[in-house]
Amino acid sequence: MRLGLFRRLLLGGAFLAAALAAGPASAAPPAAESRGWLGEELPLPLAVRTPQDLAVKAAAEKQYLIFNLLAAGKLAFDGGDFATAAAKWEALLRIHPLDPDLEKTIRPLAREARARAEGQPGQAAAERPPEPTASVAAEAAAVSPTPAATATVSGTVSGGGPQGPGGAVVWLKRANGETPRPAPARGKVITQRGKTFVPRVLVVPVGTKVAFRNDDPIFHNIFSLSKPNEFDTGLYKQGATYTQTFRHPGAVQLLCNIHASMLGFVVVVDTPYYAQADASGAFTIRGVPPGEYQIEVWHEAAAKPTLERVSVGAAGLHGLALRVAGDKRTPQFLPDKSGKPRQSHLGY
Amino acid sequence: MRTAWTSKGLVGVAAAALATGAFVGAARAQGAPTAAPAVAPTVPAAPVPPEAEPINDSEGYTPPVEGAGAPSPLSIDGYVDVGFAKAQGNGTSFAPGDQSIPADYGVDTFAPAVNSRGDVASTNSNGRFVNGFLPRSVGIGGNASFLLNTLDVDLKYTPGALPLMVFSRVQLLPRFTGSGDDTRVYVEQAFGRLVPFESQELAISVGKFDSVFGIEYLDNEANIRTGVTPSLVARYTTGQSIGAKLFYRVQIESLQSAVSLNVAATNSGNFVESLQPPDASLTGTPVASGRLGYELNTRGVQAKLGASGLIGPRNDQPLEAAHQKVFGFDARVAVAGVYLNAEYVHVDEEEGGPKTTSLGNFPISSAFWARGGYVQLAYALPFSIGALRKLTVYGRYDRRHAWFQGFTPITVDRFTGGLRLDLWEALILKAEYLDNRELAGAPTVANNVFTSSLVYSW
Repeated sequence: MRLGLFRRLLLGGAFLAAALAAGPASAAPPAAESRGWLGEELPLPLAVRTPQDLAVKAAAEKQYLIFNLLAAGKLAFDGGDFATAAAKWEALLRIHPLDPDLEKTIRPLAREARARAEGQPGQAAAERPPEPTASVAAEAAAVSPTPAATATVSGTVSGGGPQGPGGAVVWLKRANGETPRPAPARGKVITQRGKTFVPRVLVVPVGTKVAFRNDDPIFHNIFSLSKPNEFDTGLYKQGATYTQTFRHPGAVQLLCNIHASMLGFVVVVDTPYYAQADASGAFTIRGVPPGEYQIEVWHEAAAKPTLERVSVGAAGLHGLALRVAGDKRTPQFLPDKSGKPRQSHLGY
Repeated sequence: MRTAWTSKGLVGVAAAALATGAFVGAARAQGAPTAAPAVAPTVPAAPVPPEAEPINDSEGYTPPVEGAGAPSPLSIDGYVDVGFAKAQGNGTSFAPGDQSIPADYGVDTFAPAVNSRGDVASTNSNGRFVNGFLPRSVGIGGNASFLLNTLDVDLKYTPGALPLMVFSRVQLLPRFTGSGDDTRVYVEQAFGRLVPFESQELAISVGKFDSVFGIEYLDNEANIRTGVTPSLVARYTTGQSIGAKLFYRVQIESLQSAVSLNVAATNSGNFVESLQPPDASLTGTPVASGRLGYELNTRGVQAKLGASGLIGPRNDQPLEAAHQKVFGFDARVAVAGVYLNAEYVHVDEEEGGPKTTSLGNFPISSAFWARGGYVQLAYALPFSIGALRKLTVYGRYDRRHAWFQGFTPITVDRFTGGLRLDLWEALILKAEYLDNRELAGAPTVANNVFTSSLVYSW
């Protein structure tokens, strides 16, 4: 595993060197443009069993990130995608501590890329390539440290049957135009405690890694059959953690192969504009650019999500009243990981 | 195009980024990394600076322990099972012209079941003497008929502060047979379960509960059984009884496996309700039963193997000296939507005196022996088309060799094939055909059955 990683790093370095040796004005290799850059695969899949492993992993990931932000920015710049180049290099400059030589080299480049991306008179306006695509611009907006003016959307969810609206997940997607891609959330943890999932419902953006940590003095085996986000932690004991990346939007049902009554949810959204209702149903979504949106509400007791179209003005949207159905009962028999229903009152 | 950088400078920086002294130094200082296992738990991401933090980060929702939104400690579930069935002949297995008595000893095959409870179309012997070794009947004879099989209500109470669960399963069994209204309210289960240790998979149950023998009891209800009818040997293994049981399981992490022990001491054995006295112990000596199980739970394959045993006084008569001894083996394997269930059961019942079952009092309790089993294969295909959630095709082969003391051994087998549709989240439609064959010791009887079931869970 580690040798493989090192090989990848070295190959990446050789590739970068070749790209740079071709000169800054040359186009990036087509192969690099047609595939996702390696930097998106962080954190690295390195097993951690000891504090030493953790230190090594942290060091490797830092260098890996530096390299990929550096190279991805260069490739984007060469391809005329200045918004992406600016975003990558600006992200690189936020890393602390950063090698002073590297910072000295990159800072003017980032300024140059940002200027070109925003259409300001650059050093070579006549050579300015076409404007970035809408999706790239949206992505850049999502990661930009200085976003445009945004507003807040707030309101209350009601319904949800006997358990009430708590845990409802509310999210917005642009009604006309592409919704910015969200940045993955970090540090998300669902613990197993007292044979329950804590929290029971967690909303995360796509690409988020969620750590499942066993706080019980017994084994658990968490799994999901919710395609395409299915996974299986296998058996793991008290104190152990299993990390799962949720790459696809949708509600993911969490179950335990040992304890037939355990039930939880991860709701994966492909938008940065989301919130989770508290026990009273109240929710707040921040950072929403004014515009037309489709609002969607998921609740574990609703067979179908609630959908509404809303208009967000410069002052935001407040007092929104949303209702979810309570027409879906918690299944009496939750399945094991083969899909076979189990009677929770039997056995253990 | 003019840029502010130089190739040389960036190559140098990239090289530095790839192999900084800090990285190498840190790795060396912390010692050589350990070998990465094939499957190993990982720790949350190392302190890597984020590209951008989500604005709307959420820590998740956990329901309050009490008050509005808190989960109710009481759950009420259940199902209603209605069916439609048509049996060949007169719905029994009594061969026309066969005068051997007791009539039920002379066939033993009975009519094949028409519902999940194992009830048969008819047990009408046309006045010939029977000795109570009979299943229950829905009394439809050979007529195609709709059935109201079971109305089930399950109550489960789990107080949050205690490691306790109280469960009851009460069933209304409407039976309007040729002999009148035999409708019953049946308390199938009622027990309390205690999990005394947080760190152990140990559960102690007291009350009336499911069998611990074999595996078929796990799927014994219409709303969870794959098909419509039970196996030929279910009548020896799936009965409920009153007593105490203990379940203990040990997980073996390195093998993704577990070993479990489920033992019980009860008033009677695991013969089904019609073959047991109503709840009471007739001898005062409990029946001991247990199952030792092994589970393999990997990502691709789930396999469960078990060996069961039971020993104690016969269910049906008061002589403690007349014993029942049963043992069996079972296997369940699930791979890629294919489910294989198989079970073998070996039954020995010693001769006793007059007997009492829930069907009444009878003068003879002959010694009885049975060996049999089944193999069931099912394939479940998930769907998401309209109301259809899952389509399951299944087939089962049963075989039983049984004999009463002084009677000719009887061998029968059965082929069952069926289709099941899971609709929405709460409705199951099942239909199957049972081809029953008398292979030896009993006259051939037209007693095949088509039966179906519509189960609504609530």
